[in-house]
Amino acid sequence: MRELFVCLVCVASLAAADNTFLLRGATIHPVSGPEIRDGMLLVKDGVIAEVGTKVAVPRGVRVIEARGLHVYPGLIDSGTQLGLAEISSVRETVDTTEIGDFNPQLRAIIAVHPASEHIPVTRANGITTAVTLPSGGIISGQGALIHLDGWTWEQMQVQAPVCMVLQFPVIQTRQERPGARGPRPFSEAKRDYERRLQQLREFFEQARRYQKAKLAGSPEFRTDARMEAMLPVLEGKLPVLVHAVRERAIREAIAFAESQKIRLVLAEAREAWKVADLLKQKNIPVILGPTLELPLEEDDPYDKAYTLPAELHRAGVKFAFASFSTSFARNLPYQAAMAVAFGLPYEEALKALTLYPAQIWGVSDKLGSIEKGKWADLIVTDGDPLETRTQIKRVFIQGREVDLSNKHLRLYEIYSRRP
Amino acid sequence: MRRISRWAIMWIAAVLCVRAAPPSVFAIRGARVVTVSGPVIEKGTVVIRDGLIADVGASVPIPADAWVIEAEGLTVYPGLIDALSSLGMPEAAAQTAGTVRATSRSQQPAPAPAPTPPQTPEAKPAQGPEDRPSNTSWLRAADLITPGDSRLETARSAGFTAAVTFPQRGIFAGQGAVIALGGERAGEMVIAAPAGLYLTLTTAGFTSFPGSLMGVLAYIRQVYLDAEHYRLAKELYARHPASVPRPAYDRALEGVLEAPRVLLPASRAVEIDRMLRFAAELKLNAVLYGGHEAHRVAALLKKSGVPVLVSLRWPERSRDADPEQVESLRVLEFREMAPSTPAALAKEGVRFAFYADGLWSQRELVRAVRRALEAGLSQADAVRAFTLSAAEIYGVADRLGSIEKGKIANLIVTDGELFQEKTRVKYVFVDGRKYEPLPEAPPEEGGRAEPSEEVVQ
Repeated sequence: MRELFVCLVCVASLAAADNTFLLRGATIHPVSGPEIRDGMLLVKDGVIAEVGTKVAVPRGVRVIEARGLHVYPGLIDSGTQLGLAEISSVRETVDTTEIGDFNPQLRAIIAVHPASEHIPVTRANGITTAVTLPSGGIISGQGALIHLDGWTWEQMQVQAPVCMVLQFPVIQTRQERPGARGPRPFSEAKRDYERRLQQLREFFEQARRYQKAKLAGSPEFRTDARMEAMLPVLEGKLPVLVHAVRERAIREAIAFAESQKIRLVLAEAREAWKVADLLKQKNIPVILGPTLELPLEEDDPYDKAYTLPAELHRAGVKFAFASFSTSFARNLPYQAAMAVAFGLPYEEALKALTLYPAQIWGVSDKLGSIEKGKWADLIVTDGDPLETRTQIKRVFIQGREVDLSNKHLRLYEIYSRRP
Repeated sequence: MRRISRWAIMWIAAVLCVRAAPPSVFAIRGARVVTVSGPVIEKGTVVIRDGLIADVGASVPIPADAWVIEAEGLTVYPGLIDALSSLGMPEAAAQTAGTVRATSRSQQPAPAPAPTPPQTPEAKPAQGPEDRPSNTSWLRAADLITPGDSRLETARSAGFTAAVTFPQRGIFAGQGAVIALGGERAGEMVIAAPAGLYLTLTTAGFTSFPGSLMGVLAYIRQVYLDAEHYRLAKELYARHPASVPRPAYDRALEGVLEAPRVLLPASRAVEIDRMLRFAAELKLNAVLYGGHEAHRVAALLKKSGVPVLVSLRWPERSRDADPEQVESLRVLEFREMAPSTPAALAKEGVRFAFYADGLWSQRELVRAVRRALEAGLSQADAVRAFTLSAAEIYGVADRLGSIEKGKIANLIVTDGELFQEKTRVKYVFVDGRKYEPLPEAPPEEGGRAEPSEEVVQ
């Protein structure tokens, strides 16, 4: 026990020493403002203390020379299952889904496995923060915003819960089970959908009654974890992340959110371009799924998925990129890069990986740009992080430099040696 | 000896005459006669005697004992043939060993009690071709006919007088029979049997072999290889029963060897190409059915000499489809072009016949045929595809398919040109028996005219 305590003290003191430094000589890309050539960046206790071409440097501070390199804020993946799923086909390594349709009480944060192999792999590509999401049922549980570094989930936690995950019911006539012949009858699918929507409404109604009962302080009041979890949603404190891919589902999700007076964030809204004006008008942010995808319809233009971010930008819709993956979360910057190649202004793409997600998730006081007072989540690169050839040289999370070695690198080294 | 047999024939004929108690001699006088095999007779007479066409022509004597039908202004056609049908087949007929997923082609209610075929006990899931899964090639439609099938009368009222009917389930579903759509006893209805072996590409799901399309094709190939080996082994044994081991009797292969022709499913152009190659490889006397995209490969079909049975159930959007579902050009084109298949085949000179695919009512039938006519098919070709072509494909053109002396008296008398919306069938003759069609049922939408399932690959 004592050894453990000593050890913790050591770690704490080391960390304290580590997360204060001066980074100098690099081109700093604050994202929130113009780039600073040959800039200086002072980090104190994990927080950005000063940034500029000339800053007052305290005596004895550790100096990191970064001449010729570039500094960006750490990238944010706004939808992953990092830490929850390791190998999707091995049941024992997947902890994303609970039985049942309504599980708002589930907290993804406590299921995060800090030693997941995916975390260092993703981190090595410049992604320092990720939203990790439960799935399944109608209300899947509470998503968490995590740092991709830490020994325990407590250390990784940035904000949890960061959202309530809702899989909006859809009229599904496409059959996905193997061996299915042709589509399901629409009337049957619609009945099914209406039943699920009714269940969802009733669940919200139940939560509201619970809220009232709690406020009234009636003696029969009994605490219910599911209902407790819904309170911040009903109070508008916790946004609801709604998975709605197609136009009909998006429109219905918006109507539902309005009727329930809840904060809505849309996820994987691949037909958002059809309702872009409405999204702008209602000020609803969108978490975009991967850009490197096939079109949704057979006769859509081949670049429908590539141009979606540019279309939303033109309409003035706020969005952030997400991988909705674990093993491919590392490709997040390239998803944004594809959007740039198909019309999205470069600065917007970078913001949709940094500042915009921080704003959407309500953590822009800590994350998303290189500004005084924000956390020192930084990546040091030899070029543009959206380019595949760019190497990430160093990564800092809250001022702590993190290890960039990972499974991919280990395998690369092993197989490079193979005669 | 010869004299005795002649006496016997006369006696049997007399008995048959007695059984068909109502008049067996009819004369349809003054009608327009569409003979199909020859030119149209604008004002002619057809004489029917004892179930056969006794005479036809512009001026033929009317027998004194004939029931004369004054048919001024009416038209006589050969009775229509449904070239691939389940008419008269009890739905439950082919539930056999196995694990074949029910693919209900028609949504008709199952007709009342049916002679159940011998059933094998519920077997374990098949592991390979040696278990002969989904193979009921030994089932014979001729043995399964249910004269009480209410659909028979519906079809007859629309002008069908014969159908080539098949057991419906499994990959090797069974042997078809050309049946007359009239008569009291099952035995009377059979015109020719076996008419061919009906094959489908039904997979058995994931629980039993074959569970995939490639497995089905490999299985069919193996069955034909086995059948050929079985044939040789039987021949050898017949010649040397004392020195060769006796080959085990295999009913599944017996059925395969017995079939005079094989019906293979092929609707899309790629499927037609595949099946033509498959048939050539296995040296099958093949007939393709489906044919909705045959307009693309008419030349290929012509070269192969393989006839096609074209389904009249044109691909359509399901009535119960998601109204917001975007449909691909490919699917829309497939639907739009399918009815142009018959015209394309006629132009290319490919032998083809129609099958109703469940659209037996007059209204549905006319609507479906009209789409082919509107897509360029001539009236004469449409009539031929329903009559003589079907008879030729099944090798019964000596008995059916046209109005000629000596052919079976399967005729329809209409008050106008066939396949016109206003035309009504006035009389139907099946084996020389006169039937009057049922009054058309009031239109019922959304009933059984659910469009064919559309499996796009």
